[in-house]
Amino acid sequence: MKQIVGVADMKVSNSPEESIITYSLGSCIGLVIYDPVVKVGGILHYMLPESSIDQEKAAARPYMFADSGIPRLFKTAYNLGAMKQRMKVYVAGGAEILDQSGFFNIGKRNYMALKKMFLKNNMMINKQDVGGNTNRTVRLEIGTGDIYVKTSGSKEVKI
Amino acid sequence: MTSLQTLMKEIKDLKPIPAVAHQLLAVVDNPDSSMQDIANVIQYDPVITASILKTCNSAYFGLKNPAESIKDAVNMLGTDQVIELALLKSGAQALSGSQEGYGLAEGDMWKYSVSSAVVAKQVAVKLSLKNKNTIFTSALVKDIGKIVLEKYVSKKSQEITDLVEKKNFSFLEAEKKALGIDHAELGALIAKMWKFSPRMIKIIRHHHLSDESMIKDKEIAAVYLSDCICMMIGQGVGSDGLSYRFKHQVMEDLHISAADILMIIAELGIKMQEIEELLHMA
Repeated sequence: MKQIVGVADMKVSNSPEESIITYSLGSCIGLVIYDPVVKVGGILHYMLPESSIDQEKAAARPYMFADSGIPRLFKTAYNLGAMKQRMKVYVAGGAEILDQSGFFNIGKRNYMALKKMFLKNNMMINKQDVGGNTNRTVRLEIGTGDIYVKTSGSKEVKI
Repeated sequence: MTSLQTLMKEIKDLKPIPAVAHQLLAVVDNPDSSMQDIANVIQYDPVITASILKTCNSAYFGLKNPAESIKDAVNMLGTDQVIELALLKSGAQALSGSQEGYGLAEGDMWKYSVSSAVVAKQVAVKLSLKNKNTIFTSALVKDIGKIVLEKYVSKKSQEITDLVEKKNFSFLEAEKKALGIDHAELGALIAKMWKFSPRMIKIIRHHHLSDESMIKDKEIAAVYLSDCICMMIGQGVGSDGLSYRFKHQVMEDLHISAADILMIIAELGIKMQEIEELLHMA
């Protein structure tokens, strides 16, 4: 069974036969979390750093923003028995267009928003594949916790 | 180098965008046109008409009484919605399919094109530009050159990848260097052979702003910006990825701030569902 995470979307699962996938991350971030003890994991695919730009949209689509989506991803996993200290974290995406610097670099701002929240909450990133100018598709197998990444035009690789 | 004659022959073999799209654009961006003028143009094309009526009568719109004519459809859904449907449907056939040279699977280019068109219209509205439907359609078909160029990109993929990864070329610059022509130039040639308006040909030709003097043309700038935004979101993007140049000057010229871009992206996030529905309808 394959669960697809759309843009501004999140899925969490504890069914060992399931895999969760999110397609073609550009400047968006795919945040993957997994607790190997209870075999609970999920992916959040967010588009923008901060919900303060439009609270109404954040209420309608909380997974669109880092600050409203990330806590929900963790809480949903905790509700299925996952624990913070056991959580493995993988981050992908945050790509940028060539010469896209400063405030217009949405990919970097998306990544910085996550780093800021992690720092505040004492969370570590175990592995990451961020920045650059390519798109990434990320897949998590719930039964094993294996994570695969595919950049468009190349083959899927296990990380 | 790819010979121009070979490319021209391939263009001739493509199934063109139906004539109704051009006739429709000639009418809709003219402020003096009436709803009747618009209905007249669309109903002239039986395939598009049937397809629009089918869509109107689908569960998505939930109409109480079935629409039986384009006039009914306009009355029930509004002129803008019917125009958009007609334009989308005319582009659907040419833009579906896969373009393996660009790492695009079946439906990817169509998805990207529809998203770009929706964003371009949003930008056009924000900037109060007049020719919204021309901008919408130009954004929809701007990558048409990729349909022909993909085979050649595939043959030279190593050279193009090396130029992009090692020599700091944009994908467009690498196409030009390896093949002698890029997808924007080729798209403009196709548009010309298909008798698109000079305005649309120009927008397609310059949609990556490789000629920076075109920044001053607000319609080109709007289509360029919508392309950048869709590239960032990434849905339906191929192996060329985000390897195009971002021109900060556009933001200044259009008076668009980084905060405005965040808002446009947020709006797109809300509209993703709607775009998915449009993809399945057209």
